[in-house]
Amino acid sequence: MLLKLPELSENSQEAVITAWHIKETERVQKNQDLLEISTDKATFDLEAPCSGVLARIVKGEGDNASPGEVIAEIRES
Amino acid sequence: MDLRINVLELGVIKYLDAFKLQEELLRRRIEGTIPDTLIVLEHESVLTLGRLSSEENIIDRRYFDENRIDILKTRRGGKITYHAPGQIVLYPIIDLRDKKKDVSFYIDFLERTVARSLSAMGVEVDEKKRRGVWSGEKKIAFIGIGINSWVSYHGVSVNVNNSLDAFRKINPCGEENIEVTSVKECLGIEVDIKRAKHIFAKEFTRSLEEEYGYALKAA
Repeated sequence: MLLKLPELSENSQEAVITAWHIKETERVQKNQDLLEISTDKATFDLEAPCSGVLARIVKGEGDNASPGEVIAEIRES
Repeated sequence: MDLRINVLELGVIKYLDAFKLQEELLRRRIEGTIPDTLIVLEHESVLTLGRLSSEENIIDRRYFDENRIDILKTRRGGKITYHAPGQIVLYPIIDLRDKKKDVSFYIDFLERTVARSLSAMGVEVDEKKRRGVWSGEKKIAFIGIGINSWVSYHGVSVNVNNSLDAFRKINPCGEENIEVTSVKECLGIEVDIKRAKHIFAKEFTRSLEEEYGYALKAA
């Protein structure tokens, strides 16, 4: 499944990917912290929505992303 | 849902010492071995850079060098801000997993809580226009949070009795040409800092129950 950046807040239209906790090809469990995101007021982790393998990172560390943009792909299992 | 909260009202604490305390409480809150906790304190003078900040928001670096004010990089959200004795800082270590997993709602909650506290002290607070808390066209409180495993850390700082000189040497929160103010400036008198800390702690406790209790019932 494609992992998209969620709506963050009415004032933060864009976020920066500040860290990935998992590398491509590694397994992830549902609700495991996947990556760290920073906005103008908050730094927080985004959880994996499903279990599987992190097949592809679309937005790497330091990249900007807007709500709705694809940031990674998880191959479900 | 358990809305009990421990409040730690402290004095003037070095930033890094307070950060170690936050890290310890954050770890224990994630483990579930302590209840939600609110730290209320002041810091020694220090300039901190958030995750998305750089030194380009320092207008007058020499001021901080001459006054031997440390400049620290932190993991909180937000950009640049200044702390000093007389400014009240709230660090809520709150488990949002059993409340409402919504970062935006939590930031709004912090802003409303600070606005209510300031109103209780007689400060006129403007309806929300931009992030932070404003009195008239001047910013009085500054938000920068971190969330780890849906437990909050870092928080909000409110200018109470502190000097505002250092804020004129930076772009607070990365915003150019904004003015800042303090409770002292708004009221024209210095306030009892211990009493002010009590007010913030009391309003926070009340707001947590009201807003997160309400949020849970409404969910």
